[in-house]
Amino acid sequence: MEHIKSLAGHFKRIRMLYLLILPAVLYFIIFTYFPVLNGFRISFQDYRFIGASKFVGLKNYIEAIHTPGFWRVFGNTLILGLSNVILTAFIPMFLALLLNEVQFTPWKRFSQTIIYMPHLFSWVIVGGIWIFILSPNSGLINILRSFFGKPSIYFMAKESYARTIMIGVNLWKQSGYVCILYLASIAGINTELYEAAMIDGAGSFKRALYITVPELVSTLKVVLLLNVMGALRIFNQIYVMRNEVIAPKIDVLMYYVYDRGLAQFKLGYASAISVIVFVITMIITIISLKLIKYKI
Amino acid sequence: MMRISASRKLFFVINNLILIALVLTMIVPLLNVLAVSFTTDLESYENTIKLFPRQPSIEGYVTLFQRVSILRPFLNNVYVTIVGTFLHVIICSMAGYVLIKEKFFGKTILVYAVTIPMMIPFEMIIIPVYITVKHLGLMNTLWSVTIVGVVSTFSILLMKNYFEGIPKSLEESAFIDGAGESTVFFRIYLPLAKAGLATITIFQFVVKWNHLLTAILFLNSPEKYTLQIALKSLVVSQELTSTTQSVANNTRMAGIVIAIVPLIFVYVFAQKYFIKGIMIGAVKE
Repeated sequence: MEHIKSLAGHFKRIRMLYLLILPAVLYFIIFTYFPVLNGFRISFQDYRFIGASKFVGLKNYIEAIHTPGFWRVFGNTLILGLSNVILTAFIPMFLALLLNEVQFTPWKRFSQTIIYMPHLFSWVIVGGIWIFILSPNSGLINILRSFFGKPSIYFMAKESYARTIMIGVNLWKQSGYVCILYLASIAGINTELYEAAMIDGAGSFKRALYITVPELVSTLKVVLLLNVMGALRIFNQIYVMRNEVIAPKIDVLMYYVYDRGLAQFKLGYASAISVIVFVITMIITIISLKLIKYKI
Repeated sequence: MMRISASRKLFFVINNLILIALVLTMIVPLLNVLAVSFTTDLESYENTIKLFPRQPSIEGYVTLFQRVSILRPFLNNVYVTIVGTFLHVIICSMAGYVLIKEKFFGKTILVYAVTIPMMIPFEMIIIPVYITVKHLGLMNTLWSVTIVGVVSTFSILLMKNYFEGIPKSLEESAFIDGAGESTVFFRIYLPLAKAGLATITIFQFVVKWNHLLTAILFLNSPEKYTLQIALKSLVVSQELTSTTQSVANNTRMAGIVIAIVPLIFVYVFAQKYFIKGIMIGAVKE
């Protein structure tokens, strides 16, 4: 009898656990799992909101492969994505090494606080700030140029500058955040290593090169992995900063999906591209995991 | 005392010069934005470097609230941010609590159910999520942007981490006293995980305050617009995309300032939680 009573109590407890996790699971079923499956299904359809959607097999996929516009945004995404992956991993590492050599703590803390800030801002804010700074008349850059007697350049309307601007502004926004990751892992390095190196007569450059950098490799791997997983997701920045003149150079896959799917309502076609991008992301992620031998 | 070599001194100077340059590239644009937002309409078009307004004026802000009527999107954003963050914190901490429990029937599948979504980027399912939201009748409602993205694996795992640090002996004595799981969760675990709650609250506050993609997807009438989507057409307006009636630079910069201020406010007051959250996030992901 006592046994049954405790069993009943056990079930009551488990029921409460199910109830506590239910909202999260329900959310993921409705807004993640179902959409993933539905997106896969729609990619094989000529999808309509009203009436029956026709099954068209691989037509959407074949259409994508034969559309020059798809390959163009694919190329743009690779160029922007790869540059972001590499630059926002290594430049912040360099900055962290420099910051680490600063002896005056308030100045160190102040500069950390400042360089992290842009990470908090939305792409509308960051895009708005830089479009203004790069603008032809009242923008800071062109005012500086006119000091040196150089003519004003309409940066945001020049195809040749478009990608550099996108990559540079992304670096401006993200590098402080990544830098903090490195600084935190530098703070975790065993100080005995440095003391031993100092006794052996190693200067600060040698200490950075032979102790700090190797200790940062594991953080570098995490950063690279995060960057790789985000590389093909670029959307907000392009949505905010694009215009028709520079669009051919910077339109990316996710913008293309949004535009074809929800502006032109070619939902099946857009879903097929989403599926392609998703599969590529998974493959790249798995390869990266293998390459960097990351243990989850 | 070791002698400081000349090369060491040189490095010291160069290092600090680089850092000063770096900090300036972060601060100068922001000061410029702030200064221009407080100029008169006329002055905001002058091509001089503005780090202080010559004759301070709130013309830009007046235009922003009167002609551009930013108040409605601003309040909508406040509403979505507060409700969304509250739901996020409660749902994620409840789920995180369940994950620290010892094995029970169905636990493994539940763990997978809440962690796999981390591998599925939202951007890649926008089409089917759009369809789901449409079928649920949530299109063009503030609920759509509040609910979509309200749960994240990141926060669930972060809360699980914090709960794991709470001594088991506390809950054991509560269970002996006849308390149920919900009592233990609300009375013991939640109050003891304040730092964790603060961290996910702040992170979600920033995420919700900055939400753009969901607003682009689900909102289509100006009275439902949230801040970022309303600002987008304002701050990005340039000669090339002449979709909106032109407003002066001071108004555009004023728009940026009102979107930044709450973020800076939160950042200044809760900086330690940011650093903590970043670290756990990087280790977990």
